[in-house]
Amino acid sequence: MPLDTSAYSLALLRVDGRRWNELRRIHAQIRTQAAADGSSYLEMGHTKVMCVVTGPSEPGPKRGGMTGGVGGGGGERSSTADVSVSVVIAGFSSVDRKRRGRGDKRTLELQSTISSALAASLHTHLHPNSTIAISLHVLSQDGSLLAALINAATLACIDAGIPMTDYVVACTAGSTSTYAANDEGADPLLDMNHQEEQELPSLTVATLGSSDRVAVLVCESRVQVSRLEGMLAVGVDGCKQVREILDRVVREKGRRMIQEGTIEKGMSLDDMDID
Amino acid sequence: MPITILAPKPVRSTHSKPATHIRNPSSSSIDSDDAPGGANLASPGPGNPDIMDFISSTAATRRTDVDIVTPGETITDDPQWMRGHGTYTSQPTSSSDTLPAIISSVAGTLTRTNKLLSVRPLRARYTPEVGDLVVGRIVEVQAKRWRVDVGATQLASLPLSAINLPGGILRKRTETDELQIRSFFAEGDLLVAEVQQLYQDGGAGLHTRSLKYGKLRNGVFVAVAGMGGGGGVVRSRRQVWTLDAANGGGQVDVILGVNGYVWISKHVETPETANTTTGITNLEESVSATMYSSQNDQIGVETMREIARLRGVVTALVENGLRVDEDMVMRGYHEAVEMALLTGDADDIYLGGEKGEQLAAALMAV
Repeated sequence: MPLDTSAYSLALLRVDGRRWNELRRIHAQIRTQAAADGSSYLEMGHTKVMCVVTGPSEPGPKRGGMTGGVGGGGGERSSTADVSVSVVIAGFSSVDRKRRGRGDKRTLELQSTISSALAASLHTHLHPNSTIAISLHVLSQDGSLLAALINAATLACIDAGIPMTDYVVACTAGSTSTYAANDEGADPLLDMNHQEEQELPSLTVATLGSSDRVAVLVCESRVQVSRLEGMLAVGVDGCKQVREILDRVVREKGRRMIQEGTIEKGMSLDDMDID
Repeated sequence: MPITILAPKPVRSTHSKPATHIRNPSSSSIDSDDAPGGANLASPGPGNPDIMDFISSTAATRRTDVDIVTPGETITDDPQWMRGHGTYTSQPTSSSDTLPAIISSVAGTLTRTNKLLSVRPLRARYTPEVGDLVVGRIVEVQAKRWRVDVGATQLASLPLSAINLPGGILRKRTETDELQIRSFFAEGDLLVAEVQQLYQDGGAGLHTRSLKYGKLRNGVFVAVAGMGGGGGVVRSRRQVWTLDAANGGGQVDVILGVNGYVWISKHVETPETANTTTGITNLEESVSATMYSSQNDQIGVETMREIARLRGVVTALVENGLRVDEDMVMRGYHEAVEMALLTGDADDIYLGGEKGEQLAAALMAV
């Protein structure tokens, strides 16, 4: 399926009408499931994912471990919380109805990437001997799947009130021409959709909040190393935009909760006079 | 080439000013509900503190009316403050000479206790405190203690030494008791207890050494949000009370656990109130006979209906974001009884959806 990427050089518009540095529409919600500790729903263009966080909670009774002492602090117990991620990709999520089992290698890699990225940002040392279970469901796929999953998981963790260093926000970046074309003047692209991801080299980058600290960098396609720097820079800048959008969602929710009187109004630092 | 668009200069454009220029064209396409994405980025207001980066400066316009802090937001870099829960201090890197700033680690509201700054999360699991009245469920039985789910991040523990053993308060704990540990509490049993101590890792130690505490029966269990953040049950003067139910429901006990677990049950006369002449040792003995029974008493249909109505009130309060305490539950219950009278059907106990909203609106109006 040859993509008409040559059109880009004429109008500098991509197949879906965006410019090189434009994100797709991001829509996010938090607290979508009342019964869960934390939950979120996120759309990046037509990629739609749902996330539910359970915990931090203690895992169920251990087999045969009959320790008589009162209280915690046994030698074999972990000093940090465990972040376990499960990703379920719905059969109807993509155009071709592919059957993915539990042990699918791609899914396993997504899980371990998300788990290690979040474990680095979450303050797991505050919750020893406990587990944070993150369950992600992919409802619709249109590129940037890993980025959408990371963003949804971050939002759900914030909703669950789990302390973290900063948001872990992700987005993708690509390049306007293929590796084979060896085009020197290739432009970087922000936020790839499925069609672009198929044709063009792309990478997923996640940063810690609005800083330039990269938490995840995944590149699965061949790309000239000279283009990589530009793609990475565009990706990092896209992450900052994503953070702002997610931050707005969280603030909006908090504002509504204060208005409804669910939580007490806080104070600002300005009216905190000492003595 | 009809349209001229500036060629990307991404390598230099990631920092500060050039980045804000890139943001402007894109902000119109993203899902911006009310705030104009990058509009005020290029020219931050004159009153903005220097410590705020451009992310916070968009927030600064909002911070005037509500004070929500989100993870990663710098609260202050003034060294006079101390950091409390929900915050962390940044490690100053060798390259920059900035002071260690206090940064929020959760989304919530800022609170201050003298010089201690802490952030109360919008919602979080229950965090136990000594003296809390909690309702819990036994999940694990060990050699000398039970592990109790109280909705916290860790299971609470209830040592065998912290319960009232049958046969008097002064009775010595024996090995027979350890062997018969399941005769007191088994897996799945519900109990009301008090937090006696907190362990190093944040777990709680419970006790039931009072006639007020112990195994729960004759009622229904509701789990809502508890203390720790968000709505739900709040710490108040009275967590346990008995009310006279309408429509011939008799007396009903309500226990609001601080952890958000609620128990609503038929009121059963304890020997303490029934017979005041009994001595303290006799009292203990008479109590002990029924104390660890898992058998429900006979409950009338009227009582069951009123218990279910109270349960509906509690869930309706939570669904509509109202706090759950004695005052709200009682007012909500009376309102619910009135609403049922208006429909002319006392059996109408459904309080979900529109009826729940109606109930909440009536409570908010007063």
